[in-house]
Amino acid sequence: MSALESNSPISKANKVIESNMIKVQIIHQLKQMSQVLIGLIAIYSTFWILAPDFRNIDTLLTILTQASVLGILACGTTIVLISGGLDLSVGSIFAVVGVVVGICLSIYELPVWLAVIIGLFTGGLCGFINGFIQVSTGVPAFIVTLGGLTAYKGIAEILANGKDLSQFPESFHVFGSGYVTPTLIMFACALLVGIFLRKTRTGSHAYAIGGNEEIARLSGVNVTKSRIIYYMIGGLMAAIAAIIQVSRLDFAQSSRGVSYELFAIAAVVIGGTSLFGGRGGVSRTIIGILIMQTIIVGLAYLGVGTSFQRIAIGVIIVLAVWLDVFKGKSK
Amino acid sequence: MNATQTSNDKVVFEAVGICKNYGGVKALDNVDLNLMAGEVLALVGDNGAGKSTLVKAITGAISKDGGSIYFDGKEAVINEPADAKHFGIETVYQDLALVNELNVTRNIFLGREILLKGLLGKWFGFLDYKKMHQEVIDLFDKLNISIHDLHREASDFSGGQRQAVALSKTVQFGKRVAILDEPTAALGVKESHNAMQLVKSLKEHGLSVIMVTHNMQHVLQYCDRVMVMRLGKKVAVRSVSDIDGDQLVGLITGATNTHSA
Repeated sequence: MSALESNSPISKANKVIESNMIKVQIIHQLKQMSQVLIGLIAIYSTFWILAPDFRNIDTLLTILTQASVLGILACGTTIVLISGGLDLSVGSIFAVVGVVVGICLSIYELPVWLAVIIGLFTGGLCGFINGFIQVSTGVPAFIVTLGGLTAYKGIAEILANGKDLSQFPESFHVFGSGYVTPTLIMFACALLVGIFLRKTRTGSHAYAIGGNEEIARLSGVNVTKSRIIYYMIGGLMAAIAAIIQVSRLDFAQSSRGVSYELFAIAAVVIGGTSLFGGRGGVSRTIIGILIMQTIIVGLAYLGVGTSFQRIAIGVIIVLAVWLDVFKGKSK
Repeated sequence: MNATQTSNDKVVFEAVGICKNYGGVKALDNVDLNLMAGEVLALVGDNGAGKSTLVKAITGAISKDGGSIYFDGKEAVINEPADAKHFGIETVYQDLALVNELNVTRNIFLGREILLKGLLGKWFGFLDYKKMHQEVIDLFDKLNISIHDLHREASDFSGGQRQAVALSKTVQFGKRVAILDEPTAALGVKESHNAMQLVKSLKEHGLSVIMVTHNMQHVLQYCDRVMVMRLGKKVAVRSVSDIDGDQLVGLITGATNTHSA
């Protein structure tokens, strides 16, 4: 290119933009997060004012710890929803992995590290099956993962076979005990998923596939492979969440994880990731799960029963989706 | 007109006997097409003549039921959009050009992202956003496209800006052939003019162009040859210098029915 051209006004303007690129990106991120962040702060402050017992650091740590299991699950759900998919089976994958890890530890007495690897592998495999069936048969995600929801549940029951899976080795408790570890694992998972979505090729394709799958395909994106990877990560996140919970409770049973997929989807949607695909992010999902957990804990401190907590969460889910639809219309 | 005899020596791209059936309907019936080096070939015909289907069949967007494709005289197997890109053929499909949710840079590099050098890029597929942004800035500079904010989502852009971005993609990646399906559909007069200037500059950047269009003015003003289709068949190919608007309309509607190449 000649010197003349590169000094054109367009070029100069673009260079200014280039230098501001990172700043622009950070501002953009904060802008997108600001709504949910303000929501979280408002809700937290409300309970702070209303419930005297709520005002201590232990409560905050409780919220974080209790949010961690669902938060990790929701990280995987975020990727799947951004790519325009849906995964209703993660709650059942959660149950399968819990039982598998429990069996490895208490019946076969395998070393902890091996049990964990087998657990992670199981989760990834379940996710792979979800993705593979979808891309090879063309059956919609809703139906495939609805099938997975009951089928994986059945597998968990068969594997558990009414056995008592508990009293795991002391070294296994490291994953779920205390406030710090589960919370840190949640943030680590969110960070990794965030980097995957924003910084890597396969991850960034989730936005394109969720935005318009046909254009992505015509542009040369390997949609089949990408989708399978997204569901595998979803399964993997369910496995990590299951390991933390089994470690925390020191027992595993096939009935764990019921409705977790719905809570995960709720957290993602409250965070502002579009149910219609193409938009969203994992940091917002973490805020979404913290909003949910703050409400649950806060209402408990106010003496409101679980049934009313559920109603409150239900209302918030509908509000969040309504906002999503509203934003979609204004585009 | 623009017909340049000198460049018409070499056939870059050739499709022979392309067929596509939808149930009992022959959407493409034994269609041949050849594209000379450095020319703009207009592809015209009434609605349902099979223009878009032909574009999709020869670029691997849909599977074809028969026929073969030759690139530089050698048979080219094109079953997937990625295969066509491999040969340096870049296509702008009608209504399927940009993903609304992605920004300009991401749209241009979609499917062909630049990765970071070293293990981060090689093993984990980390993207080199800085390099991609720089290339888009250089590209827009080269083509005189004045879109400043590369971070804005494509949904925020006007039809003309969207088309400019889509066309610039063909310069960035189309090493040999650009195939454009109605580049000026849904554009205003001024925006159409700008888009056609870009089409012209594709030629200057060494690309051979196939352009589907309904605009006869554009055919006569910007194209070298014109191929007419009717009901899934090729009915005529003419040099633009040998034809006027009325004759062209006659060929499209079937009022004039002559076979010649």
